[in-house]
Amino acid sequence: MNEAENTIPLLIPCSSMSTESNKTGSWRFLKPLYDEKTSPCSTACPAGEDIARIEMLTAQGMFKEAWETIIRENPFPGVCGRICPHPCEQLCNRREFDEAIAIHTVERFLAETASRYDLKPTLPRLTAKKQKIAVVGAGPAGIATAYFLVQLGYSCDVFEAMPEPGGILRWGIPLYRLPLPTLRNEIAQIESQGVYIRTGQQIDKKFLQDARNHYNAVFIGCGHPRTVEMGIPGEGISAVENGLEFLKRIRRGESISPSGLSAVIGGGNTAIDVARSIVRLGGKALILYRRRRCDMPAFEEKVQMALEEGVELRELVAPVKITEEDGHCILTLQEMKISGEDSGGRAHVLPDERKTREFRVQHVFKATGAEPAGNWLNPAEKPGTSLALTNALLVYPDKGPALVFGGDLTNETKSVVHAVASGKQAAMALDVLFQDGIEAIVPKIQACLVGEGPSLSMEVYMGGDRRSRNSHIVNYEEINTDHFQFQPRITQPRLLREERLRSFEEIDLKISTNLAIREADRCFNCGICNQCDNCYMFCPDIAVIREKDRQDRRINYDYCKGCGLCVVECPRNAMTLKEEEL
Amino acid sequence: MKRVIEGSHSVAEAVRLARVQVISAYPITPQTHIVEILSEYCANGTMNARFLRVESEHSALAALIGAQSCGVRTFTATASQGLALMHELLHWTSGARLPIVMAEVNRALAPGWNIWTDQTDSLAQRDTGWIQMYCEDGQEVLDSMLQAYRLAERVYLPVMVVLDAFYLSHTYESVDVPTEAEVDRFLPQYQPRFQVDTKNPCAFGQFVPPGAYMKMRYDIAGAMEESLVCLDKIQEEFYGIFQRRYGPVEAIYCDDAEIILVTSGTVTSTCRLVLQSLRAKGEKVGILKMKLFRPFPVAMVREAVSHAKKIAVIDRNFSFGASGIFAQEVRAALCNFPGHPPVFGYIAGIGGLDVTVELLEEIYWKTKNTAFPERESIWMGI
Repeated sequence: MNEAENTIPLLIPCSSMSTESNKTGSWRFLKPLYDEKTSPCSTACPAGEDIARIEMLTAQGMFKEAWETIIRENPFPGVCGRICPHPCEQLCNRREFDEAIAIHTVERFLAETASRYDLKPTLPRLTAKKQKIAVVGAGPAGIATAYFLVQLGYSCDVFEAMPEPGGILRWGIPLYRLPLPTLRNEIAQIESQGVYIRTGQQIDKKFLQDARNHYNAVFIGCGHPRTVEMGIPGEGISAVENGLEFLKRIRRGESISPSGLSAVIGGGNTAIDVARSIVRLGGKALILYRRRRCDMPAFEEKVQMALEEGVELRELVAPVKITEEDGHCILTLQEMKISGEDSGGRAHVLPDERKTREFRVQHVFKATGAEPAGNWLNPAEKPGTSLALTNALLVYPDKGPALVFGGDLTNETKSVVHAVASGKQAAMALDVLFQDGIEAIVPKIQACLVGEGPSLSMEVYMGGDRRSRNSHIVNYEEINTDHFQFQPRITQPRLLREERLRSFEEIDLKISTNLAIREADRCFNCGICNQCDNCYMFCPDIAVIREKDRQDRRINYDYCKGCGLCVVECPRNAMTLKEEEL
Repeated sequence: MKRVIEGSHSVAEAVRLARVQVISAYPITPQTHIVEILSEYCANGTMNARFLRVESEHSALAALIGAQSCGVRTFTATASQGLALMHELLHWTSGARLPIVMAEVNRALAPGWNIWTDQTDSLAQRDTGWIQMYCEDGQEVLDSMLQAYRLAERVYLPVMVVLDAFYLSHTYESVDVPTEAEVDRFLPQYQPRFQVDTKNPCAFGQFVPPGAYMKMRYDIAGAMEESLVCLDKIQEEFYGIFQRRYGPVEAIYCDDAEIILVTSGTVTSTCRLVLQSLRAKGEKVGILKMKLFRPFPVAMVREAVSHAKKIAVIDRNFSFGASGIFAQEVRAALCNFPGHPPVFGYIAGIGGLDVTVELLEEIYWKTKNTAFPERESIWMGI
C-alpha cells in the first residue's frame, strides 16, 4: 500500500488568510486600561516617597534609579532609612498576606549603595528664577527646604549657628542610631546640588531683620533645642541636667561618665536616647514616666531595645521635688493613677492621693519635651497675613519678604521625615507665591497630594511621570494574591546586646545586595506596573503589545474584546476595566 | 521478547514502541497504570516525549488536539466519567480529522460508584466518529495499539482501543513485546497531510456553510468506510512481520454452527472454553468475536451468520429504552438480509459482574430451547 498516494477523502476547513481583518475590538463593551494607582505606603510616608516604584526598581537591580526616585521626594534616604519610624510599613498591604516589606531597610541599602559607588544623581531642575531665599537653621527642615527650592530653580543660603550642619541629626541623635559619616555624606550630596550652607552664624532677631532686607523670603526652621521646664522645686540644682544638652555634649565629643544611677524624666525619644547613652557610658539609667509604657511617645521598638540594654522603666510616677544631699539627689515621686483615656487611647493621669516616695539617685536628666530657643521663633498666626498649611506656616506682610515657619516649629509630630515634608511644602508654597500669588498656593499644593494627602509629591509638582498616577489607594482586596507566595520579611542583622553596651557603634548592620533585592521583590508594587506581563500572557486575543525598546505595555483596541482577563490577572491593580462609552 | 505484563502495560509498551511524542492524560481508575508508567518513561528518558499534566480529561484531549494539529503522534487514556467528560472533544477530534489514538478502559458509569468493567461508557460514544476496537487479551491490546496508529494516520480518523477493566487492564499475561526495529518497520514516522506550521501560517476549524459542512461529514463517512479496507491491508502487513492476525471480526466454528454466540472483550476467552465443552457434547455452536465496532463490519457479520439458525448476542452494556448495544447493531446489520436467523439479546456482567462458563452455557441452552426471542433483552444473573 502506497501511503504517499493517500486518497482518503479529507475535507477540512483551513484558511491561510490573516484574521487581522476581523477587528474583534468592535465587540467590546468593557475597556481595559493601564491605570497606575497609589500605594498605601506612599500615602503614609510624610515625604510621599514613591515606594512601590522604589521597591520595583530595587528588585530589578536598578539601584541608581531607585535611589533617585527617593531623593526626588526626600534628600535624606540614609538618615530616614535608619531613624524614621517608617509609618509606611504600618500601611503595607503585604501585612495582611504575611509581613510588611522592610521598606526602611531597602531605603538604607539604596543610600549606602549610592554612597559606596559615589553615584551622582540626575535630577530634573526647573528653569532658574531670580528670587533668593534665606534659610535659617541647617536641620533637616531647613536643608530640605533649600534642597527643594534649588530643584525649583531658586538660589538659597542656609545659615546655621552650630559649627556643623545637621541640627538634631548632628547634635541630638546618638551615633548608635545614626553614624556621623552617613549624615555628612548625605549633607555633602545635598550641597553638591547647589545648596549653600554657612555655619557658625549667630542667629538672633537682628540677623533675621538683615535677612529680610537681603532676601525675597526667609524660611525659619530653628527647631526645638530647649528642654521644657518641669516647674518643680529643685529643678535648677547642678545635678539636674537637660537631656538634649547631655546628648549634645556627647556628640560634641566631651568625655562624660555618669557613674551610679541616673533618673531620666520623660517618655519621648529623647528620654530613651539619654537613658541608652548613659548605659553606654557605664552608668545605670532609670526612666520615670508619668503615664504608662504604652502611652510613651517614644518609638516602641526603641523602648524595647533600651530595656534589653538594661535601662529600667518606672511607669505612673511624676517628680514633684528634687533636693540635694551629700552629692546625691533625692527625688520625691508622686504616684499617678489613670483617670480615663483620650481619643487616641493615651491615658489621662491624676496624682494618686498622698502616695509619694523618695528616691535616691546620682543624676537627674530632664527629657520632658522641647521648645524653641526664643519666643520670636514661634510662628504667629494672624488671619489675613498668614496661611497655615499642614506642615508649615506662611506669613506674608504687606511690605517686605514672606516668612515661612517649618520643621518642629510647626509640625505636630517631630521627626526627620516630617521635617522633610515641611521643607517640601514650604518650597512649593514659596514657588507658587512668587509665580502665581498667594491665592494659588492652596489649590496648587492640593494638586500634588499623594492619594488623599497630606503627603505631597515634588515629582508631581514638577510635572514628572508620577502626575498620571490615579489617586485611588490600592487596598489588599484589590491585590490578586494568587500570584504571590509566602516569604518571610528580612531579619535585620544587629549587634549583639553585649556589643551594644560597650560602644556607640551603629546597632543595625548592613544587608547584602541579594538580600535587599529579595526583600524589595516581596513588594506587591501596589498600583504600579512592574512589567510582570501577566496581561500579555493571559490575553486571549494577543492584544497586549510589548514594545521591545520600551518598558511599558499598551492595548491594541482593534482586537481587544474587553474580556477583562488582563485586569483580573494583574496582580497589583495597575489596570482598570471601564465601561465603553456608547 | 515474551514478557509477563499487565494489560495496562501492554498499552504503555505499544505507546513507547510507537514513538509517541505527546501524551496528555488525567488519572482515573482503572486507566491510571497506563499513564503512570508512561509518565515514568517520559521522566527517565526512555521515551522522547512530552507528558502534559492537565486538570481534567476535557483538557487532556483538548491539549492533544492542539499537539496533533502540529503534526506529532499523540496518546491519551481514560475510562468511564473521564471519557464522558471528553465527549464534546471526541466530536471535535474526528471533525478535525486528527489521528489521535486513545486507550479506553471500560468501566461502569456512576452512580452508584463502580470501578468494574462495563462497556456502556465507550459504546455510548459510538456516534462521535471514532474508530473503536475491542480487545480480548494483552497481546491483542499491544497489537491493536500499533495497528491503531497505522489506521488512524491512514484514514485521518481517531481510534479508541478498548479493554475491559481489571479482567484485562490489571491481569498479568504473557505478551510478546516486539523490538523497536520491528515496530519501526511496521509503523513509520507520522507524515501529516496537514499541520500547523509557523512558516506557513494557517487556521483550522473555521465557520463553514451548510454545504461544505455536509461534504465534510460525507468525507468522514467515506473515511470510516474506507478504514475497513485499510485495516485489512494493515493487518495483512502486520501478519507479515509479527505472524498474528485478528480481523475486524473472528468467526470461530461458525461455518457449521447452528447457534452463534456474539461476544466482545474478555468474555470471548471464557466463551472459547464453553465452545470446547459444548462441541465435545456434539452441540453445533460457534462464536463471532466482535473486534471492530466502528466502523461496524456489516458484511462480515452477515457472512459469518449466514448458515446459523439462531444468534445469541451477549452484551456487557445496555442502552436504556432499547437493548444491548451489540445486539442492536447485529439486528441492524441483518434487517436487510432476507431470511436471517433470529437474534437473541442477553445482558450479562453489568457493572463488573462475572460472566462465567456456567452463565454462558445457560445462555446457549436458553437460546437452543426457545424457538423465537420472547423479549428484546434477557437479563442474566438478576
